[in-house]
Amino acid sequence: MQAALLVGLAMAVLWFAEKMGGTPMVIRPIVVSPVVGALLGDLHTGVLVGATLELVFMGAIQIGAAVPPDVLVGAGLGTAFAIQSGQGADIALALALPIAILAQSLKVVVFIIRSWFMDLAVHLAEAGDIRNMYMLNIGGLLLQCFMYFGVGFVAVLFGSPAVEAFVNSIPQAVLNGLSVAGGLLPAVGFALLLLPMMDKRNVLYFILGFVLVSYLKLPVMAITILGVVLAFIICYERGAAREPAVRGAAAEEEDLFDE
Amino acid sequence: MNKQKMSAEDKKMVNSLFWHSFLLEACYNYERQQALGFSVGMWPAIKRFYSKKEDQAEALKRHMAIFNTTPHMVTLITGVAAAMEREASQNKEFDKDIINNVKVGLMGPMAGIGDSFFWGTLRIISAGIGLSLARQGSALGAVLFLLIFNIPHLIVRYYCGVMGYQFGAELMGGTQNSEILKMISKGASIVGLMVIGAMSASMVAMKTPFTFTIGETAFELQSYLDQIFPMLLPLLYTLGMFGLLKKGYKSTTVLLITIAAGLIGSLIHIL
Repeated sequence: MQAALLVGLAMAVLWFAEKMGGTPMVIRPIVVSPVVGALLGDLHTGVLVGATLELVFMGAIQIGAAVPPDVLVGAGLGTAFAIQSGQGADIALALALPIAILAQSLKVVVFIIRSWFMDLAVHLAEAGDIRNMYMLNIGGLLLQCFMYFGVGFVAVLFGSPAVEAFVNSIPQAVLNGLSVAGGLLPAVGFALLLLPMMDKRNVLYFILGFVLVSYLKLPVMAITILGVVLAFIICYERGAAREPAVRGAAAEEEDLFDE
Repeated sequence: MNKQKMSAEDKKMVNSLFWHSFLLEACYNYERQQALGFSVGMWPAIKRFYSKKEDQAEALKRHMAIFNTTPHMVTLITGVAAAMEREASQNKEFDKDIINNVKVGLMGPMAGIGDSFFWGTLRIISAGIGLSLARQGSALGAVLFLLIFNIPHLIVRYYCGVMGYQFGAELMGGTQNSEILKMISKGASIVGLMVIGAMSASMVAMKTPFTFTIGETAFELQSYLDQIFPMLLPLLYTLGMFGLLKKGYKSTTVLLITIAAGLIGSLIHIL
């Protein structure tokens, strides 16, 4: 019970520090494992497990829509199981991995819930209520900390086999559905961003940027440079070439800004 | 053009923007990503440049647009945005849409540079050095890892804010002429749209596992789509959601539709 509380608390506090501190990397295994080890009374094992897990998770950063197991849960629980079972880091990680994958799905849920928060956030912004915007921002963070506490506490309390059985009892369809929805949701954000900018004429630039990635797989940096060159040609070079007609062009642009 | 001298007030604001920048990802979510953190992070500038409550509210709302960049270097964009807000507060003719266009134009490339530097390089170097100690059982490994990562992190975070504000002020300083402002506005929207297009392609994920059989052969719909137009589905979906919003649907409704589409689509095996 005490160990479960400590591990849950450690994970929640580390996540809190990570997102209050502008991503200082305190949720990497090399840090998480010694902390959990020290709390459970075995710093030495914690440090060694942390070294192994850091190597395992070194490359596991989220790229696109692929979902890697959650690093914090993998490291926190892996260390706790390693110390409790007396097994090596590899076996402990194997025990922690299904829960780390579950935590990633819970994170999807947290991100969806916080997408709901955005409506409220916009209302608060419209009212100029900075105080409550700040509170909402922290509230969103605490929600995720609470999730980590729950996962750590329950997993250590009931041990790995019980949690694994529970994970397996969640219908795969629900987990799949949530991750599909997670992939679609950025579309809403981008559509909102496009709303004041895009019209029938300039939608072509949006599509151009899109196909440069979808067909040519160019990095965003390259597309930005191309965009700047294109913008320079369209706005400056062509503008300079027809200098005398600049009045007409200005008048034409006038109605663009009337909206 | 000369570097504009920063006044004591400017310095105070840049410091305050630095301290406000840490919470960028506290409320990270799918719909607007880091927007809430960014908007709250702009407060020192908004408070300074706008005295009327309505103007403050308008600026806060402006910065609630979807935003995503490397958190360690966000201050560069906050700084540029702060300089633009100053211009907007002083120049009645200033087209405020430019602010978000410029932000969008910056966040993609800054994320490209920032991710490869902080995630790809600095983190790996720090971990490498930390690991050499940790593998011998020394807890100093963790300490060293955090120091090697975070000392450059904090220095970069601070000076990006200073540079961003100076750069933004320079940019705005040369643009009193409204013709040039309009040109920047149009140019920024071209770059912005292309970057949003590129980011939609890399971040919106939509694939169909749908297969159909003609005679004996099974056809995978997705592989046909990929041959004709890769990532056609994410493009259509993003444009579709844009269409709904343009028609006046509320963002909450569109959000609900999207979650329902994900759950139902996955249940009936078309997504």
